Amino acid sequence: MKMVKTFYIVCILFSTVFFSCQKVVNINLNASSPRYVVEGNVTNLPGPYLVKITKSVNFDQDNIFPTVSGALVLLTDNTAGLADTLKETSPGNYQTVSLNGIPGHKYQLYINANNNVFTASCTMPALVTLDSLYTQKSSVRGNRSQLIPVYTDPIAHGNYYHFKEFKNDSETSSESIRNDNLINGQVIKEPVGGGIASGDRIVLILECIDSAMYQYYYTLGQTKNQNSATPANPLSNIKGGALGYFSAHTSSSKSVVVP
Amino acid sequence: MNKNIQAIVSIALIFFCFNASAQNKYTISGSIKDKKTGEALIGATIKVADKPLLGAASNEYGFYSLTLPAGNYKLLVNYVSYKEQELSVTLDKKTTLDISLESEETQLNEVTVRSKANNITSAQMGMDKLDIKEINMIPVLFGEKDVLKTIQLLPGVESVGDGSSGFYVRGGAADQNMILLDEAVVYNPSHLLGFFSTFNSDAIKDVTLYKGTAPAQYGGRLSSVLDVKMNDGNYQDYHVSGGIGLISSKLNIEGPIVKDEGSFLISARRTYADVFLKLSKDTTINKSRLYFYDLNTKLNYKLSKKDRLYLSGYFGQDDLGLANLFGLSWGNATGTLRWNHIVSDKLFSNTSLILSDYSYNINVNNAGISATIHSEIRDWNLKEELELFANPNNSIRFGVASIYHTITPGNITGSGIINSTQPDKHTWENAVYVSNSWKASSKLNIDYGIRLSTFSIMGGSNFYDLNTDGSIKDTLHYGSGQVVKTYVIPEPRISGSYMLNEVSSLKAGYARNTQYLHLISNSTTSNPTDKWISSNNIIKPGIADQLSLGYFRSLKDDRFEFSAETYYKYMQNQIDYRDGANVLDNNAIEPKLLFGMGRAYGLEFLLKKKTGKITGWVSYTLARSELQIPGINNNIWYPARQDRTHDLSVVGIYQLNKKWTVSADFVFYTGNAVSFPSGKYEINGYPVFYYTERNGYRMPAYNRLDLSATKQLRHRKRFSSELTFSLYNAYGHQNPFVITFKDDPNDPNKTQAVQTSLFRWVPSISYNFKF
Repeated sequence: MKMVKTFYIVCILFSTVFFSCQKVVNINLNASSPRYVVEGNVTNLPGPYLVKITKSVNFDQDNIFPTVSGALVLLTDNTAGLADTLKETSPGNYQTVSLNGIPGHKYQLYINANNNVFTASCTMPALVTLDSLYTQKSSVRGNRSQLIPVYTDPIAHGNYYHFKEFKNDSETSSESIRNDNLINGQVIKEPVGGGIASGDRIVLILECIDSAMYQYYYTLGQTKNQNSATPANPLSNIKGGALGYFSAHTSSSKSVVVP
Repeated sequence: MNKNIQAIVSIALIFFCFNASAQNKYTISGSIKDKKTGEALIGATIKVADKPLLGAASNEYGFYSLTLPAGNYKLLVNYVSYKEQELSVTLDKKTTLDISLESEETQLNEVTVRSKANNITSAQMGMDKLDIKEINMIPVLFGEKDVLKTIQLLPGVESVGDGSSGFYVRGGAADQNMILLDEAVVYNPSHLLGFFSTFNSDAIKDVTLYKGTAPAQYGGRLSSVLDVKMNDGNYQDYHVSGGIGLISSKLNIEGPIVKDEGSFLISARRTYADVFLKLSKDTTINKSRLYFYDLNTKLNYKLSKKDRLYLSGYFGQDDLGLANLFGLSWGNATGTLRWNHIVSDKLFSNTSLILSDYSYNINVNNAGISATIHSEIRDWNLKEELELFANPNNSIRFGVASIYHTITPGNITGSGIINSTQPDKHTWENAVYVSNSWKASSKLNIDYGIRLSTFSIMGGSNFYDLNTDGSIKDTLHYGSGQVVKTYVIPEPRISGSYMLNEVSSLKAGYARNTQYLHLISNSTTSNPTDKWISSNNIIKPGIADQLSLGYFRSLKDDRFEFSAETYYKYMQNQIDYRDGANVLDNNAIEPKLLFGMGRAYGLEFLLKKKTGKITGWVSYTLARSELQIPGINNNIWYPARQDRTHDLSVVGIYQLNKKWTVSADFVFYTGNAVSFPSGKYEINGYPVFYYTERNGYRMPAYNRLDLSATKQLRHRKRFSSELTFSLYNAYGHQNPFVITFKDDPNDPNKTQAVQTSLFRWVPSISYNFKF
């Protein structure tokens, strides 16, 4: 929850007030055998949809992640009974040919990469549209702006949301997730996102995700924030031992220029 | 009541008194007190001069009882840093004798040699007592004298982290320590995120730490019991003392209610760290709240020659907040009402009614949402203990305790949100125990006993049936008066000492402890919002069995004391978290937990110099602590976070002259076991770290030197004052608080490890006075 995050900010404030300092240290980390990494998406927007297959590298290596070519990638719409064999358009990037994403449909992903089989399934939730997007002065730091997306949570319980933010055409690292546990059925106007400045052109995407993907993003956030006493890999919905995710989600976006 | 007591006593006599002799015996009993203040002295010894085997020790309330054959005796009364007192007694009838001992304070410069240390002869193992005077001399962070930080310098006790008051004992987790203040459990013994303890050392009389080897009257935690007792207050005169420090001030008032009959004590402390925040230009910082306060009070009154009533209370609160947008406040409240009754010259009774409470509140007021989260744990505890000083060779304790726990898991209420409240969880913990301290021969002392504990889980809240993967199969409902499950666990305890010669002994012991309450926490620092949960149908009580062996020796006419202890501890039903568990939300906790076992073993050395111009100690621990939990680390044993191979502490206090005392402590220990990434991969265009094992890495080793100097400004009978300077982390070593991994700002293609350190060269100054 937001308030927990605020709590950590206060903790950090406390420790910085008292003489904290940082330095880069050299830590000898073990080598790890490479793992397959899958990023698969299906949305309610027109295709083609992309499945990306890469591999992990050792910590001390450069951030250049090997792509996996020549895999058999199948995407099935179980509800409609349609299947699509994806085409590798560039190394490691596989695209659908004919499939169209529809909310409420269940999708299945099958991958065979060098005889390693990975499968996943995901149901696309009903669409919730982003009604409007505006900015206002931050209530915590009055000299900064914050982003307010407005949408209406459906009456039914169990809606999960994922926000993606693009600042001046490039995706930012500040993604966030929400559920409707405490706010079910209401009009939501809670601020999202990180630092924005006057003149920034912001595109915000509201995605409706299923509970397994919510769990994935939640644990991905824990891994990224590194504030857990027991850090671990995010809980993936892919079976067969690959890292990453397969998400069937809806997508609704709005843009705004920060005044 | 009296009839029952007599019945129990007769049964006990049958069980424990092996040789009732026909010779006429008489009992001498009474209390042992400080001459100047009238404070009861705990653990003072009274012995027959030429037969040191014939003796007794005063109990927690200063009461002693010694039964001897009729005759003339020369008795020696002793207590640490008090002058020995010699008494001539003709014992031909039941005798009551109150004894007052004089403190050695006035002659600190002289080397005094005391009688043989009790530590060598007593059967008790794995126990450390702290001298409050010593605590006051040891340098600490911000000059705040701190009991919990001082015990971290003892063997077998580890600090949770830099500047923290949290501690681990013999490889156990932080929630496996029972911290008692006048018998009441203190659930969160820390202030300001763990940097200060809740114990204001001005209000404290006695601190005893049992490292999993506590006698049968204690129970409820696996690793340790820290028994803190408050001062009673001066019975003779009114006194005011206080201190002004950089971040806190305190005031202590004590005096008689009726001279020699009753006394009171009020001790208060308040920090003002937020005053410094106000100086900041950053609006977020200068609008912050950040403070805590403590209030200790105690009253006691002698109702009759045989009855005394004590009422003690503690109240502490932390407040942390950002303007009116966010607030977090938390605090403990405890209260203890005790009735001491001397049933006969051999039988002492204490009845206690105890309240322990810990709660936190989070307030959020932002974006049209105003919400409060409230969580609380509250205990009511009724205890009765009888102590029978049967004869010089046997002293027996029996007792019963009944604790009713109520846990409010975390209710979220407010406007703009849907309220989420859960029913309170009720559990009922009971225990009966009996133990005997038996002087078997001139060389052999044995303490043995058994505690039978039970824990009943009451209905009224949700219980679950889980699938093997941890998901909820079924939700079970029980009525609020219904007992869902009862655990019954016997906890035998035995330890013995065998004197090898006049100055050295061998000791061995075995103890079982159980734990029915568990702290759920998944952050790297101590967090006030960590949750206490009780055992239930799924979460089984933790059980620890510990075997220990020790060698104790007094050196150079008892100027030095040396001990070596080794232990092996096996722990059942240990808790860890499933990968990625969100333990902070309001959903059922059971599916997020995994259960397994633990083992801890180690070797501890302590060399202590007890008297002279230089005093202090060297303590070293070599230890290991591991867990094996199905579902974590491929089911292979992995090091617990508190696994620490080497832990060295050196403490020295040097009395330069009448005006100046200087002191120093040095600490070195192996870094905690942590999980670091072994690789990385890309998700949505950003690198994500890849973890392969639990706690497979080590933080860098920790080391630190602290210095302190105290100048006596004035030392009169009416008024005395002193000034203390201290420097924490004197050579400014950058000790790792946390290590995080991020992109190299100079080359986004590379990743680097960044170490954050907290405290370097922290100076402080404080002024203390007394009149």
